Amino acid sequence: MKPIEYVTSLNKYYQSQGFPPYKWSEFETSSWTPFDKSLQESRIALISSAGVFKKDQDPFDAWAVNDLSFRQISTDTPYDSLKLHHNYFDHRDAVKDLNCVFPIQRFQELEKAGVIGSLAPIAITLGMGRLYKRTALQTETVPEIIDILQNQNSDAVFLVAA
Amino acid sequence: MKQVKPPRAAFLNFPLGHQCGNPGDIDLQTNILKDSLNILTTASIPGEVKDLTYEWGRSFDWSDYMKGIEEMLNEENAPIQL
Repeated sequence: MKPIEYVTSLNKYYQSQGFPPYKWSEFETSSWTPFDKSLQESRIALISSAGVFKKDQDPFDAWAVNDLSFRQISTDTPYDSLKLHHNYFDHRDAVKDLNCVFPIQRFQELEKAGVIGSLAPIAITLGMGRLYKRTALQTETVPEIIDILQNQNSDAVFLVAA
Repeated sequence: MKQVKPPRAAFLNFPLGHQCGNPGDIDLQTNILKDSLNILTTASIPGEVKDLTYEWGRSFDWSDYMKGIEEMLNEENAPIQL
């Protein structure tokens, strides 16, 4: 398959419905921290924006608009306790196997096999959907997430952008 | 993703909802994760996106993406609000 131009196509779609052009984030440069550890001695934190949450948590709105919230999920949470609410992509396969977008079981296996040093004990999930408050995301939500990542001594983050 | 420029990134050319592979395919999911994790220690150019070599194996375009969401919402009796 050819790569799908989601950004271009979504912009066309929304503008055909009368919405103004969506302002996608663009950066000229990329921040860079050299990574000197091996994977085998690294603690990896998992973040996914696929709308996954624990059944006892406030569920994500499947049609979220400007949802700046996130959920903390202990990485030893039983798989059967997890759910997914996200309607901006066809989630039927992901609901059959959440590892498609939130690879928690695969990471547990990689930890057990010694491929990574450890999986950080708390994973972060977001729902987001359509987001028009990028500044609030950067100044309010992200610092809270960074605190959690640093408090559990994460060396790197594996982000699944769903 | 190229416009956002995360420091290290992997691109898997699968439809949205399959960023880490197909449901139930543990080997594929594991290999995708391993390949992506290796970028952490091997990447040298900030913002470079590495293409993973796995193939979806059938055609899939924008209209299929929209059709998939419509079918899903019909199956689940969910309101359409896209």
